[in-house]
Amino acid sequence: MAELYMSATLTQHALPQRLGDFPTLTEALDYAALGETGLNFYDGRCRLVAVISYAALRREALNMARRLHGLGLRRGDRVALIADTDYTFMELFYGCLYGGFVPVPLPIPSGLGAHDSYVKKLNGLLLSCEASAVFAPTVLLPVVQEAAASLAPLFVGAAKDFQAQAMAQVDLEPSRPDEIAYLQYTSGSTRFPRGVVVTQRAVMANLQGIIRDGLGVRPGDRCVSWLPFYHDMGLVGFVLGPMASQLSVDYLRTQDFAMRPRQWLNLISQNRGTISFAPPFGYDMCSRRVREGEASRFDLSSWRIAGVGAEPIRAEILERFADQFAPAGFNLKAFLPCYGLAESTLGVSFSRRDTGIQIDRINRWELEHHSRAVPFDGDESKASIFVNCGAVLPGHRLDIRDNTGHPLPDRQIGRVTLMGPSLMSGYFCDEDSTQAVIDQDGGWLDTGDLGYLSGGELFITGRRKDLLIVRGRNIWPQDIEYLAECQPDIRPGDVIAFLVPADIEPQVVVQVQCRLTDEAQRTQLQQSLTKLINSEFGLSARVELVPPHSLPRTSSGKPSRAEAQKRFLQQMQSLCGLSMAAG
Amino acid sequence: MISQEKILERLFVYLGRIAPASTPIHPDVDLIQELGLDSIKVMDLLMELEDEFDLSIPLNVLTDVRTPAQLAEAVVTLMEPANGTVR
Repeated sequence: MAELYMSATLTQHALPQRLGDFPTLTEALDYAALGETGLNFYDGRCRLVAVISYAALRREALNMARRLHGLGLRRGDRVALIADTDYTFMELFYGCLYGGFVPVPLPIPSGLGAHDSYVKKLNGLLLSCEASAVFAPTVLLPVVQEAAASLAPLFVGAAKDFQAQAMAQVDLEPSRPDEIAYLQYTSGSTRFPRGVVVTQRAVMANLQGIIRDGLGVRPGDRCVSWLPFYHDMGLVGFVLGPMASQLSVDYLRTQDFAMRPRQWLNLISQNRGTISFAPPFGYDMCSRRVREGEASRFDLSSWRIAGVGAEPIRAEILERFADQFAPAGFNLKAFLPCYGLAESTLGVSFSRRDTGIQIDRINRWELEHHSRAVPFDGDESKASIFVNCGAVLPGHRLDIRDNTGHPLPDRQIGRVTLMGPSLMSGYFCDEDSTQAVIDQDGGWLDTGDLGYLSGGELFITGRRKDLLIVRGRNIWPQDIEYLAECQPDIRPGDVIAFLVPADIEPQVVVQVQCRLTDEAQRTQLQQSLTKLINSEFGLSARVELVPPHSLPRTSSGKPSRAEAQKRFLQQMQSLCGLSMAAG
Repeated sequence: MISQEKILERLFVYLGRIAPASTPIHPDVDLIQELGLDSIKVMDLLMELEDEFDLSIPLNVLTDVRTPAQLAEAVVTLMEPANGTVR
């Protein structure tokens, strides 16, 4: 798009705003195309590099639908889209919907030297969704072809080269409300990826809830996002949501954000953005990378919804960000904590708007021994703090249940279960996994998360499967990890805590990524951490220092405690085997 | 036209500042395994290169990069079209 003059799409236009009240995504795009808003793409220096209005996007998507038909795809066939932050992704995504095919957004590789692990992971994903066609950015074609080699898709290629494909002269039949809109791959393990099946009806129900009830979208809103398109928050929140409410969006590539986090804030300042989301680490990265006195160079006064989700929310990270950017006009009340998961399309609950972070300080002893959230204003070290994630979206129900499935009263901690129109139909071609999370009689989804309700508002306390149960006490691994992360030389994400079976009682293992090379310093760190954990939690943990980047992560970058535990046990076993063989 | 040597030189200056003193820096050292660069340091390193040579490095072209020599080569390749080199 080498135009001499390019300008971003407008924020305001004459088209009356509709808040996601469409039967399907394609009907939503048909409507957005009547206005003047659209999508804007920026490079790492905040220069506008591509613009596409919803009108142009719709035209191109219809052409794509005909080209896809030209490949000989059948209705419902999956089309894998390796999703870089680029408008061709949207052309293909909506092209699939117009043509009656199922788009499957998949990740791009990240990091140095990731070739082999990416090929393996992508191969698993392509097999799982049984992709009939695979689209990738040109630079990634060799690696994607390698990953697709064991399949026999009708097409593997770059979107750019696909322009030359002949358009079939067919009457397009877009996917209907009861048909699959797209598959969303979640952070399952590499070996057994799980594709969440989202129907048109589910995505529209969720979008309407997010747009109308969660965010209260109104004319004059403008979105800014660096979230990847293959992630549910990036896709539903910042590709589909703005489209279904006819908002303009300014995009920064995830990598450019990671390299230059300030550009996110620049973009909001420059274009008067009003809605933008990030996991807590996104806010943390800005706090860490902005220099003294630099904050006042931004103008964040337009930012009315600073959404926070996708990982456990720690209030102090957000408070530090708000303090730091107060000179830029950032409003602490703009923070909007929320809870969601791909199995319910994206959004489950949003905190009240214009209130900021609301925390609940509870008694840790009661939490650990009786799974009760008892308000507490005593000694800081004996308290646990959780963030209010708001009430469940209208039309949905959220219950906290015990292990036998019985609903629990307010302030009792249990499994977060969910029912409503946004729920997935299941995992793609994986009845076992589906039955494991959705109960067949009532249709309730077990989210796998733990939490409690207070006055109808949700507080998430952790992931059930990660819980450390020691001597009848429930200990949240996040608490131990956080304690360790607060020590000098240790950063958020450097620590993982899990439980392994042992002779007398289970052993808590704490692995810490450590950059220290001096042996004496390492020993000292190990000892001081062991002592600290012992004094805080009264248990003797086995603290292990591991090399940087060695802790396993899920595809969304969260620490994978289950995988760390598995690796640890395997290692122990092989060590045992060795010593027995030697003996 | 900026040479691969020039880029390597620049890389070494940067790596010298952040790598552990005990680890020798050479063109074939493994940036992650041997120098222990974390993702933030990798990002800083790429940003230095982008600013120094005024180019954009898409992260996804770096999947086969493990060493300074490979990184310098990738950067040179990225710069070729901008310099009008016909391949």
